[in-house]
Amino acid sequence: MVFLGDALSMLSLSQIGGQQDIFSVLLNLIWFLFIIIFFLYPTFSQKLQLSYILRDLERRLYRIKSIRDEVRGRTLEALRRYSDGSVKLDEELDKLLHSFAIPPESMDPYGIVYKLEHIVNLWEDTFEENVRTICSRADRERVKTLTNLVEVARGIDYLYRLIRHYYLLGKKTSNIYIVLQVQMLMPQLMEIAEAYRQACYAFMHGQPVGDGVGVLAAAKLVEGLEKKTYEVAKNTIVHETMIDGRKVFVLRAAGPGGAVGKPADGILKILETEKDKVKAIVMIDAGLKLEGEETGKVVEGIGAAIGGIGVDKFKIEEIAKKMKIPLYAFVIYQSIGEAITPMRESIAKAADEVVEKVRKLIADKIEEGFSVIVAGIGNTIGIGLS
Amino acid sequence: MFSQEKARKIITPLTYLKCLACSTINSRPFRDGDYIFKEVEEKCPKCGSDKMKIVGIYVKEEAKKRSKSRL
Repeated sequence: MVFLGDALSMLSLSQIGGQQDIFSVLLNLIWFLFIIIFFLYPTFSQKLQLSYILRDLERRLYRIKSIRDEVRGRTLEALRRYSDGSVKLDEELDKLLHSFAIPPESMDPYGIVYKLEHIVNLWEDTFEENVRTICSRADRERVKTLTNLVEVARGIDYLYRLIRHYYLLGKKTSNIYIVLQVQMLMPQLMEIAEAYRQACYAFMHGQPVGDGVGVLAAAKLVEGLEKKTYEVAKNTIVHETMIDGRKVFVLRAAGPGGAVGKPADGILKILETEKDKVKAIVMIDAGLKLEGEETGKVVEGIGAAIGGIGVDKFKIEEIAKKMKIPLYAFVIYQSIGEAITPMRESIAKAADEVVEKVRKLIADKIEEGFSVIVAGIGNTIGIGLS
Repeated sequence: MFSQEKARKIITPLTYLKCLACSTINSRPFRDGDYIFKEVEEKCPKCGSDKMKIVGIYVKEEAKKRSKSRL
């Protein structure tokens, strides 16, 4: 039995929808409601999008946090192994993770490179000294590796705090443009976070990383040759040898602990003694590849192949220009993730290819009786002396 | 799900050792304390000599699949 009231309401609903099916009528009503909301509340769609982006960011941020916690836990575990138990590791690690260096004022850029060098050297020394204090039972090489490990933990910690800052700022101010930019960068940031996670394991165990390929090539160049080895600058050694009648100074960071050394200071020292006998500076380093390029590809170029804050690059370029010494560069392509994670086969094999190319360059460009400097740039973790 | 599982896997490199007597190269999983150019006292599976040198530590890569893209 259908009551009159019900029949009338059904009729009116059908009239609105223009159809008999109750579901179609309801669907039309919902659409109508949405149109009204969009008309009365023009930023509704934006709010909807904002909440979706925030939820997406929150999920990824949680993943980064779990990576941060994992890296922190592993770092603590490694530090504990070499600590004598007299310090509160948690507090000391937090101090290191939040430590900072203030870059010099650049309003008047004159002499800024040397000011920056001073600040960075001081910061690096203090950082290493603090790690040494925490890990009093670790030897010199282990302290360098542990310092690298804490730097990895510091990197992921900062990445997490930075993304969290923009997430919370966007949420607090309901600013879709802030969260949208973070969301767009998230795939790359997640990749970097994952690379930090892998790097933590590599540095914990002292495994060679992709960035060390320059050092590996330099070491392979002098492997099995008669040579004189000595320290030329802080954490930097040089092998003095003869290749086909040319005096070759092969410079690299001292290993197998994690260090990058001071290549520019080493080159300056060699040039002080060798003067105009040096006819070329050859630099070998890992270089960032573009997406789609092959990992481990060796490319040749001109200039100072060295990364970092720019101090070493500046010094090398300055002395090369002053003494009119050509700078040759060999770069081994890899991604940012591959540079800080355990070395891949293609990168390791590229070191042998570079050795052949450097030998050929020395034979072609340097006359017998003259000298050449070959600098292997990168982190020497897991690479001993050849 | 699969990509997440894959991402969480830890990459462990292999240590490549060269026998100083017969020059045979063999590999084993990386151990703490290994570094390139280190001389170790391990038995060569081919000639039985116990002097080996670490000549490489790296992650073995699978043969690359041919990409469908022509770019």
